[in-house]
Amino acid sequence: MDDMRGTLGIDATTTKISASAVQVHYGQNHALKDVSVEILDRAVTAFIGPSGCGKSTFLRCLNRMNDTVATARVTGKILLDGEDIYDPRVDPVQLRAKVGMVFQKPNPFPKSIYDNVAYGPKIHGLSRNKSELDQIVESSLRKAALWNEVKDRLDAPGTGLSGGQQQRLCIARAIATGPEVLLMDEPCSALDPIATAQVEELIDDLRNQFSVVIVTHSMQQAARVSQKTAFFHLGNLVEYADTPQIFTNPKDPRTEAYITGRIG
Amino acid sequence: MNSAHILTAFDRDLEAAQALVVRMGGLVEAALLDAAEALDTRDADLAAKVRVGDKAIDALEDEINTRCALLLALRGPTAGDLRTVLTVMKIAAALERAGDYAKNLAKRTAALATMPQVPGASGSIRRLAKAVVQMLTDALDAYIRRDLKLAEDVRRRDRDIDQMYNSIFREFLTHMMEDPRTIGPCMHLHFIAKNIERVGDHATAVAEQVIYLVTGSLPEDERPKVDSTGAGA
Repeated sequence: MDDMRGTLGIDATTTKISASAVQVHYGQNHALKDVSVEILDRAVTAFIGPSGCGKSTFLRCLNRMNDTVATARVTGKILLDGEDIYDPRVDPVQLRAKVGMVFQKPNPFPKSIYDNVAYGPKIHGLSRNKSELDQIVESSLRKAALWNEVKDRLDAPGTGLSGGQQQRLCIARAIATGPEVLLMDEPCSALDPIATAQVEELIDDLRNQFSVVIVTHSMQQAARVSQKTAFFHLGNLVEYADTPQIFTNPKDPRTEAYITGRIG
Repeated sequence: MNSAHILTAFDRDLEAAQALVVRMGGLVEAALLDAAEALDTRDADLAAKVRVGDKAIDALEDEINTRCALLLALRGPTAGDLRTVLTVMKIAAALERAGDYAKNLAKRTAALATMPQVPGASGSIRRLAKAVVQMLTDALDAYIRRDLKLAEDVRRRDRDIDQMYNSIFREFLTHMMEDPRTIGPCMHLHFIAKNIERVGDHATAVAEQVIYLVTGSLPEDERPKVDSTGAGA
């Protein structure tokens, strides 16, 4: 079956992140078992699977968020543009500027809309003066499809926005440091359908510039926004294929059982 | 997929749609058998029954389409479930066409009743109808049992049907050339044979849907075709 979206403007040949034999233990718990996957540049990759399947754990490996968990032990190799992100010389803070993250619940800083977006560029020293910073803030808000709604109240607190706007603000904040990869952990689960559609439209737009990886519990969302889908189950990567293939003719019976609503 | 959905209403909806298409298949088989019998025995009452019965077949197709639209809108089926819904709709459409051909047979039976008999014709048409109804029965059995081998066998048999039709075509041509008084009945009988042959194509379409349902893709090779009537494909 031809996918209209899958062939439109996608550079489906460039690997952005290459993971091989990644294992994660949380203490005694073997949370992720031998996961190898190539994540494409300028495409949306969806991770799906039941709760506890390892999809968020794997997502958090991609920008070393698991470093902050004392009991977590990560083995295997994860290459970003061919460079090992777990190399001791890599600064996790610098890495996270390149691999941005958006979380389930919108979590703007208790600061103004402007400062929410300006914070990252400031601490990473990405601008030389106020007008450069203004430009970064504006372009990030524009890319996050929020500029027109907030341009007249940049000094208002970010926490005063609606849920959907807050989430787009968090996306603007993640974009502001000029990342190459955006990780999204259930970015729409706290949003209403309209705000969800706006964020999905934004995700579809963002893949022109970024490699986007999204964890979602909504199979329909994975089908709507992604070009590649990975199905995780019990810590294993069961199947990784083009999204149209996964949703019309998956190869593994466990994938079929999950996406058709037969196992939880 | 044989394990049940977590949401049992989903299973009920899918099973209901499939039960309807199986029932529709039963009605179409019976209509074809009755129409062939009515033609063979010049039974006007039986032919009338077939004509009236087509309404029930059409109504079933409508109901199947309505249920499938609801399944798509409300349940968002994927993978095997999606293929089930799509094949139910396509099989229902094929059966509806086959039902129309049965009705057309019955109509022509009424017209033929007033015309002279064509020697040998009823035997050849009876054999053709029997083979086609068997194809349809097997295609539906293949659907019910998800039987890939049987579906592929049905698909192959369409070739035999084409050959039987071609020889009937030549037979009628000979009659008409020898005795122009047979042109009227032979034209009707030819349309009847052609329509039965078309039912064979619809049975093949059902078999191909079974292949799609089971494997996720339609057969890629060109369907076997034989046409020596000089009419082209």
